[in-house]
Amino acid sequence: MSTAALVHVVVSGLATGSIYALMAISLVIVYNATRTLNFAQGEMLMVSTFVGWTAHQWLRLPLPLIMLVAVVAAALLGWLIERAVIRHSIAATHFDVLIITLGLSLVLRAAAVLAWTHDEFPFPSFFADRPIALGPVRVAPVSLGIIGGSLLLMLALYGLFRGTRLGRAMRAVAQNQRAARLMGISVERVYSASWILAAVVGGIAGVLIAPVIFLSSKMGLVAINGFTAAVLGGFGSMPGAVVGGMLLGVIENLAPLYLPSGIKHSVPFLLMIAILLVRPSGVLGRARRRKV
Amino acid sequence: MRRALWLAGGLALLLWPWAAPPYFVFLASLIVVNAIVAIGLNLLSGYTNQLSFGHAGFLAVGAYVAALLTIHAPALPVVAALLLAGLATALVGLALGIPCLRLEGLYLAMATLAFGFVVVEAILNLDWITRGNDGLRVPVARLGGLALASDTAKYYLVVAAGALLVWAAANIVRTRTGRALLAIRESEIAAQASGVHVAAYKTLAFVVSAFYTGVAGGLFAFIVGYLSPDAFDVFLSVDFVAMIVVGGLGSIPGSIVGAAVITVLYDTLAAFQNYRPLIFGVILIACMLFMPGGIASRVRFPVLKGDNA
Amino acid sequence: MRARLVPFLVLLAAFAAAPAGAQQGVTDAEILLGGSNSFSGPLAFTGEQMTKYGIDLYFKVVNDGGGIHGRRIRTVYYDDGYKPQEAVANTKKLVEQDRVFAIIAPQGSPPVVATLGYLEEQKVPMLFPYQSSPVTRGKKYVFQGMTVSDRSSVMMIDYLAGQRKYKRFAAIYQDDEYGKSFLTAFEKDLGRHGLKLVASESVKRGVTDVSAQIAKLQAAKPDVTFLVLVPGPAAQALKERQKIGWTTTLMVSTGPLTDERYLALAGEAAEGVEGLSLWPDPLTSELPGVKLYRQHMQKYFPKNEPNRYSIAGYFAGMLFAEGAKRAGRALTRDSLIAALEGIKGFESGILAPLTIGPDHETQKQGFWVRVEKGRFKTLTDWLKSE
Repeated sequence: MSTAALVHVVVSGLATGSIYALMAISLVIVYNATRTLNFAQGEMLMVSTFVGWTAHQWLRLPLPLIMLVAVVAAALLGWLIERAVIRHSIAATHFDVLIITLGLSLVLRAAAVLAWTHDEFPFPSFFADRPIALGPVRVAPVSLGIIGGSLLLMLALYGLFRGTRLGRAMRAVAQNQRAARLMGISVERVYSASWILAAVVGGIAGVLIAPVIFLSSKMGLVAINGFTAAVLGGFGSMPGAVVGGMLLGVIENLAPLYLPSGIKHSVPFLLMIAILLVRPSGVLGRARRRKV
Repeated sequence: MRRALWLAGGLALLLWPWAAPPYFVFLASLIVVNAIVAIGLNLLSGYTNQLSFGHAGFLAVGAYVAALLTIHAPALPVVAALLLAGLATALVGLALGIPCLRLEGLYLAMATLAFGFVVVEAILNLDWITRGNDGLRVPVARLGGLALASDTAKYYLVVAAGALLVWAAANIVRTRTGRALLAIRESEIAAQASGVHVAAYKTLAFVVSAFYTGVAGGLFAFIVGYLSPDAFDVFLSVDFVAMIVVGGLGSIPGSIVGAAVITVLYDTLAAFQNYRPLIFGVILIACMLFMPGGIASRVRFPVLKGDNA
Repeated sequence: MRARLVPFLVLLAAFAAAPAGAQQGVTDAEILLGGSNSFSGPLAFTGEQMTKYGIDLYFKVVNDGGGIHGRRIRTVYYDDGYKPQEAVANTKKLVEQDRVFAIIAPQGSPPVVATLGYLEEQKVPMLFPYQSSPVTRGKKYVFQGMTVSDRSSVMMIDYLAGQRKYKRFAAIYQDDEYGKSFLTAFEKDLGRHGLKLVASESVKRGVTDVSAQIAKLQAAKPDVTFLVLVPGPAAQALKERQKIGWTTTLMVSTGPLTDERYLALAGEAAEGVEGLSLWPDPLTSELPGVKLYRQHMQKYFPKNEPNRYSIAGYFAGMLFAEGAKRAGRALTRDSLIAALEGIKGFESGILAPLTIGPDHETQKQGFWVRVEKGRFKTLTDWLKSE
């Protein structure tokens, strides 16, 4: 295997890895606010991408506007789900909410099938597939574009969490809900904002990845990799989600190169089990002490 | 009154194959198998708060062990095959349970999820014994000279095993062990302080849960008659979790009812084709919104004592 | 207790009282067929197209034309989501509750194999299962509904290694029964030509990135790379090849893959790809049967675009109707089997004239195509697999 080919495979892994990272960030945002694993995150991404695509089919909108439509659709969907369903189950146990988000994922996927069939569709891309040469190395603009777009979004999120009132409120709620409430933070508003924000991140990820894995009612399954990525990085940590996603993307691509076929597909899961056993708080997470 | 109910229930189970159309005999077997898994999962999740998304993996281990034993040792009576399937799975449960002691809630859920994927990959790659993607045809179970070939014979096998396991579970939760498990669910630290050996009991819950699911896997192999890795995907694990949450965490009758509800729903909704996941999802959501805590929290089950929902 | 038993006893009596001799699923006015298929899960698109827009499309035509010997055909389908255990449950329900005459076009190896033994035991015909592994051979009550992978392989290898003289072959395949059965067949047929696969790489269903697999295949420098995949990953593989500028291999798609959907997904990356085509182009073919199929689709399902899965279902419906017609008014399962076995030189207007015979295979041929300007261009006449 030539170095050029290796570089290409790694860059390609970083591109899918950025999508995993964005999925992981969405999951973590929701988890930090409502302590819920959102099984429907992938399906929310799928629906908003479909809405953007439909706008493209009907109105022949340019791609940036498709992205905007998808993001608005995602925000609305996140808001609606939180207000109509999740908020009513605040009193319920985590297990109950888990089943609710599971139900949501089934409903969204089935609704997408009814609206857009089981078929797969090509999706317009910001970036070209044809390679550009950087010295001896060939890289696909689509990979670089996905990585760049994702990094930009992550930077924006960083700014939001550090620099805005809402971001600080979200971090406060993540750390200690009761204390946050006592400090005068509207926890309900944070719930709502978290679901919307997570959906928006997913919406952007959907538009970025749809040209690569194609648009279909089953594209939401990519969220499973988001779970793995979030755990690798330490569930709850944003930088962890980013590192976990990139790591997963690259490892998934390197495993088939160097490992016998018998084991290569299990690598992400074996790695996850190993990390959980050795370092449950993830590669970046801080060990948490349990208090009485 | 209680005795009459028991009697009526037992009689109904025994007479079912003679009263119901043949298909419903098969369906009842499937419900009982799922109920055994649900009870096993509930002993883990409902009683010690350790959530598992990997029980399809345990089911697969039990199913393949029972099937392979029956293929390679045809003289082995089915009871032994099931017992060995349960024990082998319990061993796997032990191997997974001990390292997982350090993990809680979400992390445990993810570790078990990964375990489920790894089991499926292992079945694919051990194809010299599991036949991998080609799938494995399961021979007819034998009990002495008796071949359990008909749906009715399989039904009685499943019901006998199910009754035994329900009885055992009811006894486990009623005893010291059950109380210890519940104490762990409420607060590990308080349980520890009251002298409960938390690590030992949590591991025990893992092992028992895996044993139940392994036996169910063996029964599954015999009633379905064919195994392939596609049967045991992560969605099956999720279905098992749905069964115990809908039925009620920490309740044995709840597990049975939950298993019955989900199994019958799946079966009935199969005719709705594209609408099946939609209807199923709506029912799940409605159940949890209007019945948080599951069916067991709303209905008093008069039959089993020691029910600590 | 007794009160609950009564309805069941009544039901039981009703079964017992059913007229002896009459064939289950056939009444004076109706023939009932059923199938367990994928309406959810990985093969849902194929499942829905085959059944609702394929088989049922043809039966609508038949029923509107007065049915078969005065009987209308009705179908029931249950979703199994590609899970064997659900296929078993559905099939038992179809046979024992709905009391269907025959099972039609179940899909995918695991669900089909899981129900095979039961149906043989019950002597219920399994008509035209849509899966390509050879497990269904030699069964009295099964008629294969898709070109078996070993036949596809014979046609592909004999054409490429024999006629076109290619030497180095590689494959990228889906890590399941479909992929493995092709891989085994390729190895065997290459062996006949004194060749072997120089590389093979597996891909999981629902994969997000195939760059590693393509890079490894490229390193093996094959002349021909087989795509044994489903449309999504196959299109990804083609785009990946474009990304690394790998032009020195001929990409060849297997029969089940060669379809318009994967062309649409791959776009310009599919130019020059060749493949074994099992069906004429459903959108453009001028064959009389295909034109009729398009007219029927336009009439009954104007919103559904013609495709290879619905035409496969349509063809299955046509074969059943032909068999039932030949079996006559006294239709039984055994007379249907005999009638199907007797089909000789049947002109469907879609495929080459069909003779079924004792091997129970309904499709044994294909032809070679190359993608030019986004459409399949036919390169050969029907290739033979015998």
